[in-house]
Amino acid sequence: MPASDQLPSASHTIQEFVHGYEEDHRLRGFRCPNCGLVTATWGLACPRCGKADLEETALSERGSVVAFTVLSVPGDEFLNDAPYAYVVVELDGGGRITGWMPAVKSERNLAIGDRVHFVPGYKPGVQFAKDADAPGVG
Amino acid sequence: MREAWVVGAASNRFGKMKETGREAATRVSLEAIRQAGLEPKDIGYTFVSNCFGLTEKQGHVGPLINGGLGIPDVPSCTIESACSSSSAGLHEAFVHVAGGFTDAALVVGVEKLSHLDTLTATSYFAEAADYAFETKNGATFPGLYATLANAYQKAFPMKPEVLGAVAIKNHANAARNPHAQFQKEITMETYLNSPMIASPLRLFDCCPFSDGAAAVVVAAKEFVKQPVTEPLVIRASARAGSITEMQDRPDLLGLPASRTAADKAFRQAGMDRKQIDFVEVHDCFTIAELLALEDLGFLPRGTAGKAEVDGVTARDGRLPVNPSGGLKAKGHPVSATGASQVVEIFEQFNGLAKGREVPRAETALAHNVGATGGSCSVHIFSRR
Repeated sequence: MPASDQLPSASHTIQEFVHGYEEDHRLRGFRCPNCGLVTATWGLACPRCGKADLEETALSERGSVVAFTVLSVPGDEFLNDAPYAYVVVELDGGGRITGWMPAVKSERNLAIGDRVHFVPGYKPGVQFAKDADAPGVG
Repeated sequence: MREAWVVGAASNRFGKMKETGREAATRVSLEAIRQAGLEPKDIGYTFVSNCFGLTEKQGHVGPLINGGLGIPDVPSCTIESACSSSSAGLHEAFVHVAGGFTDAALVVGVEKLSHLDTLTATSYFAEAADYAFETKNGATFPGLYATLANAYQKAFPMKPEVLGAVAIKNHANAARNPHAQFQKEITMETYLNSPMIASPLRLFDCCPFSDGAAAVVVAAKEFVKQPVTEPLVIRASARAGSITEMQDRPDLLGLPASRTAADKAFRQAGMDRKQIDFVEVHDCFTIAELLALEDLGFLPRGTAGKAEVDGVTARDGRLPVNPSGGLKAKGHPVSATGASQVVEIFEQFNGLAKGREVPRAETALAHNVGATGGSCSVHIFSRR
C-alpha cells in the first residue's frame, strides 16, 4: 500500500508539515519513487535525482543522532529554553530530520549515535528526547 | 570572452559605522573608482549587495548610490546571496565585462547591523538558513556551523586548541590590517576562556556582527589599456549551489557547494591547486576555515587542523590563509565580505598590505559562502 494512504490529509504545503508536527503529532515527508530518497523537507521534486514525482510518506518517530550542538545562545523563538540541543536525526525508516531537545543542557549529555524519539504536542518545531529519558517513551 | 581585470578596490574600516549603509557604499565606490584611475562616468553597470538594507528602511539602494556618484542614468541592481552577495555581484560584473556587455562595472557591498540589538541581529542571520525546517526547530547560524563542527570532530577527533589556532592566526593577521574590526592579537588562554556559544564553538570561534562597506571595479583589459594600479586578472569566476538543509545533505564533512565551485574555477582557470600562492576563505566560524581548505582541494579531508597548528596557513607558511584576518577578525559585514576579500588580494598585489604581506604572491583565490553553503563563489586571480 502506498505510504500516502496512511496519512489523513495531504502534506502539500509547508504549513501542513508544521501543522503535522504541532497539531496531529505526525512527522511527514516525501519519498522519491525514482531514487528512493526519503526527505523531511518540503519540495515539488526530489533534491537528489530531480524527478518531480514525490509521494507523501509517514516518517518514523525514532532514530539516531547524526550530529548535534548544545546552544547557550538561543534562537529568538527559544529564549526561555536555552541551553538546549539542536540535532540532526537519522530516522529508522529512512530520511533525516532536524529538531531540538530541551532536556539536553550540556554537550556531555548527548552523543552521536544516541537513540532518540519524537515528542509530540510541544511547540515550536520538531522536538526529540533521548530514549533513555522521560517523557514520551513507549 | 574578453579578459576582465579588477582595477580598483576599496574598503572602509569594519566594525561600527556612524553613517548609513548608503553613504558608506557611495564613499568606498568613489574611492575604488578613483583608485582605478577612472571616473564614475566610466561605469556602465552597478551591482549592489545589501542583504539587511531593509533594517535601515532602505531598499533599492543602487540608484541612490549611482545618484550619489553623479551617474543616476547608469543601471544598477541588487544582488543577494546571503554572505556571498558581493562575490555574486563580482561574478555578475565579470559576466557583463567579459561578455562585452559593459566596459567597466562597479561591485559594492555594504551592511549596517550596529543599530540592531544582538538578538535581532542573530535572528536576521538565522533567516538565511531554512526558516521552516531549521530555524523553527531551534537552529541559529552559529548552531548550524557548530553541528558541522560536531560531525567533523566525530570523524576527525581534535582538541579545542586546533580551532583556537585558527582564531589566533586570524586575529594576528587582522592586527596588521587597518580595515579590520579587531586589530588585536589574542592568546590561547583568551580563546579557551571565552564562553561557549554553541558547542563546540566558543565566542572566539565566531565572526562578529559588523558594519562595513567594500567596493571593486571590474574593467575590460582593452578598455583600461594603461592601468594605474597592478590589476588582478580574473582567471576564474565560478559559482555553485547546494542543498541548504543539513538534513538532506549526503554528508556533513564540508560544504558541497564549495567543492563544486572550486572544481569549476580551477577548470576555468586551467590551473591546479599548487599554483595558488594564498587564499582568502570564508571563515565565518573557525571550523569553516578547516572545511574550506579541504573542500577547495588544498588539503586532504581531516588534515586542515594539523596544517593550522603546524603554521602551514600562516603568512609565511606554505599556504597562507586569510592574511586579512578573515571574517573571524577582520569582521563580517555580510554583503561587504565578498568584495572585501578582493580588496585584500588587491592590496597584497599592489604593495598596500604593509606589515601583513604574503611574500612573492603572484596568484590568489577568494572563497565566499552564502549562509551554510546553499551558495558559494570561488574567484581566482593572478598578476598580468
